[in-house]
Amino acid sequence: MKYSADPFNIIIGGVGGQGNVLASMILGRMLVSQGSIVTIGETYGASQRGGSVMSHLRVSKVDQFSPLIPEGKAHLIAALEPVEGLRMIGQYGNPDLVTLINLRPILPLDALSGKVAYPDLSVILSKIKDLSKEVWTLKATEIALEMGDPILANVIMLGALAALEILPVNRDVFNRTVADLFVPERQTVNLKAFDSGQEAVRKEK
Amino acid sequence: MNPILHQSGKIELLMGNEAIARGALEAGVQVCAAYPGNPSSEIITTLAAVAVERGIHVEWSVNEKVALEVVAGASFAGLRGLCTMKQNGMNVACDFLLNLNLTGCGGGLVVLVADDPGALSSTNEEDSRLFAKLAGLPLLEPATIQETKEMTRWAFELSEKLSLPVLIRSATRISHARSNVRLGELPQENRKPFWEISQTRVTFPVVKNHQRLSDKQFQAAENFETSPFNLYRGPEKPEFLIITCGSGWLYALEAVVSLDLAHRVGILKMGTTWPLPAAWLLDHLSKAEQILFVEEVDPFLENNIKAFFAQHCATLGIKRFFGKADRSLPETGELNPDIVTKTIQRLLNVPYQTRPTEYADRARETVEQWVPGRDIGFCAGCPHRATYWAIKNALALDGRKGILLGDIGCYSLGMGASGFFQMKTLHAMGSGAGLACGVGQLGRFGLDQPVLTVCGDSTFYHAVMPALANARYNGANFLLLLLDNSGTAMTGFQPHPGTGKKANGEPAPILDLKSICRALGAEVEEADPFQLTETTETILRLLQDNNGPRVLILRRECALIRGKQQKKLFQMTIDQGRCLGDQCGCNRLCTRVYKCPGLVWDPTSGKAQIDEAICTGCGVCAEICPASAIGKEAS
Amino acid sequence: MNEGQKGLEEKVLSKDMCAACGACLGLCPYLKSRQGKVIKLDDCDLTTGRCYAYCPRSQVDWEGLQTKLFGPVYEAIEMGTSRKIVMARATDPVWKGKVQTGGVVSALIDFALRKGMIQKAVLTQREEDLLPYGKIVSQREDVFSCSGSSYISGPTLEALNQGPWKGEERIGVVGLPCQILALAKMKGSNLPTQTPIDRVVLTLGLFCTWALAYKPFKAFLDARFDHRPIRKLDITPPPERLLKVWIGDKVEEISLDEIRAFIRPACQVCPDMTAEFADLSVGTVEGMADWNTLVVRTQRGEELLEQAVAAGLIETRSLTKENLGHLREASLLKKQRALTALKEEGNPDGGYLNLSKELREKIQS
Repeated sequence: MKYSADPFNIIIGGVGGQGNVLASMILGRMLVSQGSIVTIGETYGASQRGGSVMSHLRVSKVDQFSPLIPEGKAHLIAALEPVEGLRMIGQYGNPDLVTLINLRPILPLDALSGKVAYPDLSVILSKIKDLSKEVWTLKATEIALEMGDPILANVIMLGALAALEILPVNRDVFNRTVADLFVPERQTVNLKAFDSGQEAVRKEK
Repeated sequence: MNPILHQSGKIELLMGNEAIARGALEAGVQVCAAYPGNPSSEIITTLAAVAVERGIHVEWSVNEKVALEVVAGASFAGLRGLCTMKQNGMNVACDFLLNLNLTGCGGGLVVLVADDPGALSSTNEEDSRLFAKLAGLPLLEPATIQETKEMTRWAFELSEKLSLPVLIRSATRISHARSNVRLGELPQENRKPFWEISQTRVTFPVVKNHQRLSDKQFQAAENFETSPFNLYRGPEKPEFLIITCGSGWLYALEAVVSLDLAHRVGILKMGTTWPLPAAWLLDHLSKAEQILFVEEVDPFLENNIKAFFAQHCATLGIKRFFGKADRSLPETGELNPDIVTKTIQRLLNVPYQTRPTEYADRARETVEQWVPGRDIGFCAGCPHRATYWAIKNALALDGRKGILLGDIGCYSLGMGASGFFQMKTLHAMGSGAGLACGVGQLGRFGLDQPVLTVCGDSTFYHAVMPALANARYNGANFLLLLLDNSGTAMTGFQPHPGTGKKANGEPAPILDLKSICRALGAEVEEADPFQLTETTETILRLLQDNNGPRVLILRRECALIRGKQQKKLFQMTIDQGRCLGDQCGCNRLCTRVYKCPGLVWDPTSGKAQIDEAICTGCGVCAEICPASAIGKEAS
Repeated sequence: MNEGQKGLEEKVLSKDMCAACGACLGLCPYLKSRQGKVIKLDDCDLTTGRCYAYCPRSQVDWEGLQTKLFGPVYEAIEMGTSRKIVMARATDPVWKGKVQTGGVVSALIDFALRKGMIQKAVLTQREEDLLPYGKIVSQREDVFSCSGSSYISGPTLEALNQGPWKGEERIGVVGLPCQILALAKMKGSNLPTQTPIDRVVLTLGLFCTWALAYKPFKAFLDARFDHRPIRKLDITPPPERLLKVWIGDKVEEISLDEIRAFIRPACQVCPDMTAEFADLSVGTVEGMADWNTLVVRTQRGEELLEQAVAAGLIETRSLTKENLGHLREASLLKKQRALTALKEEGNPDGGYLNLSKELREKIQS
């Protein structure tokens, strides 16, 4: 499925500190280099201290759009954290939604302390399937930990996103984009992370 | 090469703040100063990263008043200067600004204030545009990222034309939004500063200069008549007119398209929102009889245009106005496309659905039932968590119901569960120490509760020093806990006078906190918050003293700053055999009460675990565990 | 009804009913003591906890405990079960001048340690600033340093809870009636614990009519005596009833009326003047400054006394009928006062003591 709507609306979200701002910036630059007009809106600041964060991306051939996506109008949601995925779908989802989920829970303070229960991953996944047309999953954090740095999960997710072939982004575009952003040593490990994401993503629905 | 310096004609994905930086560079700005403040901080960070290369001066000043004075000094010598801040920074700088408007400026001076509608990361919600009216300064509001760059560049010209600072008002959804920007030309040369010695910049005679200022308003309004930043989109004779500015523009555009009202509704976008271009406005106001104002925070444009309308109502006839004054739009909180769409939909009575009702209901129910809230809190390894733990225990052991007065920074989270609800007040920068100067005087009236206040290292240089001097001079009794985590953390780890580094990365002399406190007459001690027991005892001991201000400097680097540079201090493990879990004798102290996100309660095993992905290895939890089940190994 | 920290707070801590015995301390990170006061550092939400179970003021099954330890019928309502009540004093001159009154407590503990009946004893040490705390001892000089009463109650049992313990020691504890009662509750509780309560084989109780709260009493002394260090405190027997304060070489005297305000409220509702749950209970003798009254309650207590007497370390005499009569009266009076105090605070049926109607009536008649 190639993206056809204009603007095409993507949300990348998770928990503050997971690097979703960097991920959305890289994705945005990749798309700009392929000729799109991209608008990205984010919420950071205090939310970085473990709160929910989202980046909204509007991809268009025509114009800049509002940096916030209207309710119910997301075409693609990439969630770095399962419950955040469900939260984003709740507000921005619709029956045609494509979802990509990193299956690693980050417990909110109340769940860490045992005050509330974090829902079972299988339940979250089934709810996400109920509310999406297509669902893809991967264990980005586990792969990142094996590579030695949990923050790489965000780039692994970009790799996974590229593998869905919805957007005009691939390994080459990624490579060229990060050449501007990272020093050579970091470029290598990020490319490796991107590749891992492409390989690891699985279709659930 | 830094994308911010790419050549003219290139298209870059820039954040609003980066666009401002680029626009200032294209205008030949040479001196830039600011104090970090969300959502404005990235402007100076971006400029600082290229300062050496461009041969310009970019600094983090200790506070916004000084920052504005720094830039004004350069302006008086003929150079172009940019001062940026958030809405609260405007409050700090306005004393100078409200004198600067009378003395005028030399080289173009642009003051950029980025508001935080909805207070997503602020202690208040405030509309800075009112300062434009108060100070009589021209006000510009960009609505797109490209426009942000163009406006910034042009503002310097306008400033020089009028010999007046120009105010640009941005907001979160402009400053932090990214979009495609076509870059313009960068100048090849820097100007030479020149202070004509007969030049005086004094506000006297005040009334005469005030009159001159007032005349400049008309000049500015004239100038705005032909501004490309003001435009109209829609039918010749719309049934309904939306007047908007700033981020309202894109919301309104999208709303009109979604509701399929492009043939009925016109949108008037204003980029020059004060003073109002009379002729242009008159012309467009006559278009429709129903007008909706869409803008962030206060009905600023709304009220000014209504006043304008009252002046010209004989010509314009009867109109109906909608906006914040009549609560068609909410008067508080941030706007978004849904709020704007729903308002227009209601006012024009058109049907609209973003998604099938059945789906919407199901989605909402799912979230209500399955999605827990996510509070913000201190990061794993944050020294503030340890500090507040020590404060909590010291105050409990002291038993006199000590009062902790708070301030702005990451440590403000001491208000909530993450900081064990210790912090009791939160206002402006340095207000904790200021309040302590007051509450610390109440012993004479019988208040026997000890007084404490907390501030950060950056906050200290910003505003606490005068309060500390005041405390010593006037004899206020309190304990100041100075949390030194080596940076201005909440806003993005900017350097300050205690860090030994300048904005552009060059080394800087360190202004030693201990020496300053001593010089201001306080007794000073230092402690390491990661040594929990010791720190608790030190605080408890210092609470018993009641002789003027005492300072305890709690020195430990921010976990995120340390994380960027080094490996973990310790490898943490929990001995599952020793862990008491929810039994009497522990009852999950580490996960239920201390609540570091690196510690997780596993209800299946009935034990606590370390989350490797989150734990930063600070080692503090080992000291807390009553069963000595948490081990730490130097890594 | 919460029987954990919440219950403890509601019934005892927030009502200022804490006796500062220390039974709830050293068990968990949530309760600590400072200057003789129990402080809650954080909330614990468990519904049952040892703090509540061990506390002598939360809930006491008075009659049940008596039956469990001493036999089926609780008859001696004035001062609890006794096999023998005598006068006694330490005969070894090594104790002279170092101990209060007859020196019986120190002599018995020292003997029990030397004989190996116990390997360790939990006694009460006083800090320079008069703050009492529990101390684990095994050497004679430590027994010396813990002798004497300061009339201030402190959290002695915290030391029993906290240890450190090797895991085999037999332990003796000397305590005030509230502390001895807490030990009885500990023995009766089946909550899992690190406290070596099963190895506490000997308890010695001290007679007590009231104890002073440290913080306000210390503040009073500091103000009165200009913060000068206090070497020793003593209360002279009736009819004088003065508080003697040793400062350096001088002895100052204060009328007891001045310090009554610092008596812990927990003492007003205490029915136990003679530490009814101990193996042996020790007090003064009216009009005989260097003798102790000694109440022997259990077989173990009796064995210890017999052996000490046989070794020539303790001598005993009969208590006069008059003295015994006064002792019984005084002890019963404390019980009556306790019931009255409980009634005044809204507990006409004995509140935390859960006394049967029958027993209450017997006491009050």
